[in-house]
Amino acid sequence: MFSGPLYSGGFSELKRLFQEIRDRNYRIVGPRLEDGVVRLGELQSFEEIPYGVSDVQRPGYYRIRVDGGRFRTPLDSPKQLLYPPELTIFRVTKDWKIEYPSYRFEKTALFGIKPCDLAAIKIMDRVQGELGDEYFLKMRENLLLVVENCVEPGENCFCATMGTGPAASTGFDIAYTRLDNSIILFQPGSDLGADILGELSLEPATPDQVGAFRRAILKAAERAKAGFRLENLPDILELNLESKVYREIAERCLGCANCNMVCPTCFCFDIIDEPELDGSSRRIRIWDGCHSYSYAQVAGGHFRKDLWARYRHSILHKFVYWLRQFGSFGCVGCGRCITWCPAGIDLREVISKIVEEVEERCRK
Amino acid sequence: MSGINGKIRLAVFKLTSCSGCQQQIIDLGELLLALLDRVEIAYFLEASSDAKPGPYDVALIEGSVSTPHEEKLVKNIRENSKIVVSVGSCATYGGIQALRNWMEFEEVKKTVYEKPEWVEALEKSRPISDFIKVDYAISGCPANKLQLLSTLKQILIGRRAYHREESLCQECKRKGNVCVVVAKGEPCLGPIIKEGCGALCPSYGRGCYGCFGPTIDPKPDALAKRFEDLGLSREEVASRIRNVTSWSEPIRRFLESYER
Repeated sequence: MFSGPLYSGGFSELKRLFQEIRDRNYRIVGPRLEDGVVRLGELQSFEEIPYGVSDVQRPGYYRIRVDGGRFRTPLDSPKQLLYPPELTIFRVTKDWKIEYPSYRFEKTALFGIKPCDLAAIKIMDRVQGELGDEYFLKMRENLLLVVENCVEPGENCFCATMGTGPAASTGFDIAYTRLDNSIILFQPGSDLGADILGELSLEPATPDQVGAFRRAILKAAERAKAGFRLENLPDILELNLESKVYREIAERCLGCANCNMVCPTCFCFDIIDEPELDGSSRRIRIWDGCHSYSYAQVAGGHFRKDLWARYRHSILHKFVYWLRQFGSFGCVGCGRCITWCPAGIDLREVISKIVEEVEERCRK
Repeated sequence: MSGINGKIRLAVFKLTSCSGCQQQIIDLGELLLALLDRVEIAYFLEASSDAKPGPYDVALIEGSVSTPHEEKLVKNIRENSKIVVSVGSCATYGGIQALRNWMEFEEVKKTVYEKPEWVEALEKSRPISDFIKVDYAISGCPANKLQLLSTLKQILIGRRAYHREESLCQECKRKGNVCVVVAKGEPCLGPIIKEGCGALCPSYGRGCYGCFGPTIDPKPDALAKRFEDLGLSREEVASRIRNVTSWSEPIRRFLESYER
């Protein structure tokens, strides 16, 4: 968590970093305020980043405050860019020729994304990347990653439990930490990142600053914890497949799949073939999710007809199957599924309850 | 196909309704003109008085069945059409006029008409699928013209017309909208209503009022609970969920137990 050299500079250097990346002809995508919500979008200027705006994120609740505080994960995750919600895969012409759309892949910098979202990109590298999703690979190739470490996680954050934050350790080009508005600590994570930082007026961080950084991150880590631990979690979940918690949650769950949509790692999709009047047709990939009823519907039957079974599947996939499929948990602890659940269901609470049930059973 | 030059013979009918869905067809504009290369519009009184008799390849029916005459008409349409599509939430669920299904029939007649004895109506406003086999159902108040066009395009290439019937939330998120429930505390029916409208209302910052009708496996009870938490009275909750698709099976079942 604390490896690598740290350099310090003022807030003006953060602005210069933005400018330097711009000057290198990157399109910059980062947090911006839109309709009262911090979103991920294209930034024309550094001033668009809503530093000084904080968010209140609770289960099923999101509001912003202009109070000099800090905002957390934006509504959109990098998935929006790397794995768009709707993507035309190809077109079949009237005479049955397949035409692939030509997408433009610009050099893009993700500026100020959070460590949990960086972790999500790393998961996507294993899922979409290793499985050869071309659109993803081309976007990814052109991506510069500038991560903002979190010193004030929100109420729905649990990156420390998932081991993805509050500070990023590897996989970024540049990480920065706003200790306060006058001291920013910068950390290069790649040759390119070091080269860009070389253009800024930075000093090696003083031992005091390094100490303050460590303390801030440790304090943040204390806050960004769920009520459960990862140790043995997959086994515990598998031991309690018939947990009554799933059925209780299904009473509140709307089955709307908002959690699937906002999850930075959920990758399930549906394929739509849209015929055109000229005899051609388009094949479109759209986001889908395991909470959808039709998702597990197959010719002749249904794998998970009941909502509790669909809810259970989503948890088991993230916390059990994902490890076997891709070698890590599928959850990064960003808390989006908690914030943006219109029913306000708290995933952390659900897992904690299932674990408690097993613990209680073991005590008997 | 049976129309001129191998075109599909299309008929558009109207039962009890406001003509809004038919207007959507006309509102296709240039797309409708493009469609005419493949489709012969044989019967569409809203657009032309040149009405040709059946049989038809495809019949689009707007409106609910609420009179004995309409019951006969709809059966006749079925006999004369290869494919029948119910268009809009009146034809598919019974529509806004199905609100009277929840009231005393004679009372409603008396309240609305000076001479109720002149009115020949069925006791309930019902979806056409209660009377005939419907091949495809499109909902909405009004129906979405692009979904309607997509259905026709799918029929034209001879495949089974398909539309996702998952929550509006999914379409809303794919479109990049901010959730009005979470960010504004506004009641929105999106979680139990099916996609297809392009998430129209939430795109303008207001909650979905449910005109497309319930998803395949909707959870109105859970949503009602959530609305109550947002400060709505039980009466307000029921009235929001009732709306245009009150006579759809899941909403009906919900209302029957919620209002007991």
